[in-house]
Amino acid sequence: MTRLAHDWFPGELPAGTSLGERSWLYSAYALHHCQGHVQIGGDCGVYSGTHFELGPRGRVEIGAYCTIVGAVIATNGIVTIGDHAFIAHEVVIADSPFALPPGAAASGSAARPQPRAGPAGIRIGSGAWIGARALILDGADIGRDAVIGAGAVISGAVPPGTTATGNPARVVAR
Amino acid sequence: MSFDVRTVTGEWDYSALASNVQLGRGCWIERPQSFERFRSIRTPGAVLGDGVAVYGWTVFNVEAGGVVTVGPRSILVGAVFMCQERIAVGSDVIISYNVTIADSDFHPRDPVLRRLDAEASAPAGDPAARPPIEAQPVHIEDGAWIGIGAIILKGVRVGAAARVGAGAVVTRDVPAGATVEGNPARLVNR
Repeated sequence: MTRLAHDWFPGELPAGTSLGERSWLYSAYALHHCQGHVQIGGDCGVYSGTHFELGPRGRVEIGAYCTIVGAVIATNGIVTIGDHAFIAHEVVIADSPFALPPGAAASGSAARPQPRAGPAGIRIGSGAWIGARALILDGADIGRDAVIGAGAVISGAVPPGTTATGNPARVVAR
Repeated sequence: MSFDVRTVTGEWDYSALASNVQLGRGCWIERPQSFERFRSIRTPGAVLGDGVAVYGWTVFNVEAGGVVTVGPRSILVGAVFMCQERIAVGSDVIISYNVTIADSDFHPRDPVLRRLDAEASAPAGDPAARPPIEAQPVHIEDGAWIGIGAIILKGVRVGAAARVGAGAVVTRDVPAGATVEGNPARLVNR
């Protein structure tokens, strides 16, 4: 499947994109900057405001039953989102706090923001809930069923079943 | 009316912009919608230097007396400018996703004046009756990087090559080369 029947955007889904059964993707416009691979599981809803800003080595894997309201995922690494996750509007998931769209020019290689290398990339566990305008940065490892408060800035581990809020983020409930 | 894909790729006709928007050589503006709320009557009202890239999440909300200038080679991903008087961005600046930059509070801090503002701002209100608000220009100097989701408030000068961390809310000047993080933003040692 390369073209979404309902789409207002004339583009096709890039090669390397997969959309699971009964899933909804609002438009191929979500991938109009995407140079990497996006794999969306079954029974997912991916809504307007979501953009996959992937460099050529970028990979996003999303499990089943995820609801993604308006997330920008900007990475040239790996982002893994487990099943049954909720991601609210204006969330940004990025491999650098100064993330740029793939292919953006820069004044010189020394001046180009570089992500800190984290072998696991960014992980959002099964059943996690990410609040509005939270920022999930390289090195974030959000455990199963964790809750991330609105506006939180996460760049480390959040234990399973806990709630983390704030900038910088702190675990506030267990 | 069919959808024109050039309005999302930066390949639309830039001469359709207001005549007081000055573009340098090699500017790229992804979407004309970035200028939908550009209402400046100043000459010029906006200046984009050579090689400036403006991604579709960037919005120039500029009031009648406002001027926004952006130096060469700066990259504006999601810079939402709220400009009453003056916002100046230098060269080689990077502004990431979901950033807000405002040179004014836009409404009175005083509650009595603010109620008057609420009534004057109503659809049937008289805009000329709005209490005057003082703007304080914002400067983002050469080579600074503004992180995802940051908010730069009125009167702030972000120094050359400074780093404003993701989610920071900046209310005070940032020294050249320094890094600030948090809400409110504080200097961090790097």
